[in-house]
Amino acid sequence: MSAKLLLLIIKISWLSLWRNKRRTFISLFSIIIGTGIPIFFVCIAWGFYAGLIDDVARLMSGHITYEHKDYRNSPSNDLWVGDTIKINNTLTNNDNILFTKQIVNLQGVAHTAKGSVGISLMGIEPKKEIAISFLPENIIEGKYLSKVDERLVVVGEKLAKNLNIAIGKKFVFTTNDINGELTEELFRVKGIFKTGSKEIDGHLIQSNIAIARKVAGLSNDEISQLGIIVKNPDEHEVLIDELQKSLAKNNGIFLSWQKIMPDVATTIRMDRTAITFFMIMLVVIVLFTMFSTILMSTLERKREFASLLAIGTQQIELKVQIFFETIFFGLIGCPLGALVGVGVAKWTEGYDMLNVVGGKSEDMSVGGFGMDTVITPLFSAPLIMQICFFFFLAVQLLSFFPIHLISKISITDELRSA
Amino acid sequence: MNSNQEIVSLKNVVKNYGSGQVAIKALQDIDLKIYKGDFSVMMGPSGCGKSTLLNIIGGLDRVTSGSVIFNGKDFNLLTNKELSLIRRNEIGFVFQNYNLLPVLTAYENAEYVLMLQNIPISQRKEKVMNLFKEMDLEGLENRLPRELSGGQQQRVAIARAVVSNPLLVLADEITANVDSKTAQSLLTLMEKLNKTNNTTFLFSTHDPIVKNFARKVILLKDGLIDKEEQASKNI
Repeated sequence: MSAKLLLLIIKISWLSLWRNKRRTFISLFSIIIGTGIPIFFVCIAWGFYAGLIDDVARLMSGHITYEHKDYRNSPSNDLWVGDTIKINNTLTNNDNILFTKQIVNLQGVAHTAKGSVGISLMGIEPKKEIAISFLPENIIEGKYLSKVDERLVVVGEKLAKNLNIAIGKKFVFTTNDINGELTEELFRVKGIFKTGSKEIDGHLIQSNIAIARKVAGLSNDEISQLGIIVKNPDEHEVLIDELQKSLAKNNGIFLSWQKIMPDVATTIRMDRTAITFFMIMLVVIVLFTMFSTILMSTLERKREFASLLAIGTQQIELKVQIFFETIFFGLIGCPLGALVGVGVAKWTEGYDMLNVVGGKSEDMSVGGFGMDTVITPLFSAPLIMQICFFFFLAVQLLSFFPIHLISKISITDELRSA
Repeated sequence: MNSNQEIVSLKNVVKNYGSGQVAIKALQDIDLKIYKGDFSVMMGPSGCGKSTLLNIIGGLDRVTSGSVIFNGKDFNLLTNKELSLIRRNEIGFVFQNYNLLPVLTAYENAEYVLMLQNIPISQRKEKVMNLFKEMDLEGLENRLPRELSGGQQQRVAIARAVVSNPLLVLADEITANVDSKTAQSLLTLMEKLNKTNNTTFLFSTHDPIVKNFARKVILLKDGLIDKEEQASKNI
């Protein structure tokens, strides 16, 4: 087939699309819906996930956590990692890392006159926490910590209620130090926060890392966890390998957020699977519509194809013509669908999902962590292109049966039927 | 105008549709020869086998038995693809319903066959424009088939059939959808092409007007050649 003939066939394909404008528009509409809806859902859902992962990573121990290798199985106070000043300095010079945060976690019991509640005391660096985490913004009473606050803490709203404590009130925290000795410390409430997560608001207390170290009996070079906030969370696995090889000490290990927070990771994975399944179902339904229109358009031109075959057109040339018709459908429909999907997702940006689904923001949690219900779509070009390409490919596959029908055309039967 | 150069030779051609007890005998033991420059017409009542014979001569259909030799090539020995190439390069078709590509202009429809034959653009343009001039289609080059009358469409279809100077042009009921005046002008045009270019035409028709132009009339009846006669105007 010469290049000129191919160009003519392409021209015929293009012009044939517009012979039945209504059908072409229906087909294009199907492709736009078939591409646009998955892209819209993916932008919204993946935006929720990205926001959630980032929030949780910043609130807890980062996208990557350096901790004692046994800490995951049993997060006890005596499983700590050392030499962290040096490690931290190296990490802060890494271009892929935005922030690091040193954490001392202590499991213990808080006592007030009302009673006792099991809590998790998180020793942090207030200045860094303000820069990294959303928790300092969620202080609903009092103030957040500063570097000089030695025995002051911020507590979750639910925990404050359970302990019946308010701003300025005291409680005693009992725990074991790293040697297993029982130890106690008196704290005063500086602020009360509300994250929307029942688990965090009901069990977390934050204090300055210095006092937490002192309670635990750790030196300035020792911590429970070193949290790492990376620039590109999607590529953190590569960084983990690199860090593990270059920085990890004998008892230390770098872990991804999925391993630190498996509940969140599993929930997101299941949710993504459900959305993907739903999208595939939708795509299949849309493809059926497309299939019938492409098939119809081929069947109603059987006589025309027969006359072209009669004058010496080869079957392959007609097959190329039909194939190009579906290519044009895909080339027009898929980008338009992507534009529509992205456009609608952009349009909904900032809208609070609670207005649609109802309920309270504190009821919205994933793996025990509160979820931001305000839509913040994630526009991932590779992901959008993947969906477009998938749908484009699916549309092309649809042309195989009509193309196959060309081989079955009986020239004489079709010309006789005229 | 005809020479002794044999273009088509049919020997003992039988065409049955179906098989066994229900087989329909469309053609029975047909012997026929078409020579270069012939202007022949096949006539006969509906169902006598005219279109079947035309399809077999054009390589659109295969015989049940017998042989079809076209320009020295035995159709029985050729693959479908080889038959398709013969239709592309050596045979022109004109259909009752014109069967022009509705999305292409008159010029592009005529040019289409030349493109299939991979003729260079300069030659294509020259051939099509000369033919359009000859066929009084000048000025209609850029019109789509729907913008042309039935007669004009049929002229474009004839142009498409003859533009590549095929050995044989097969025309099936080409006057069925046009009025008698248009039919007359179409046939005059084809007769002119026959005389000037020595193009061989074989018509299948019911129309007596076509018979008036023919130099050879083949009468078919019940799948058999009933009579083959030279037309009086040329005798």
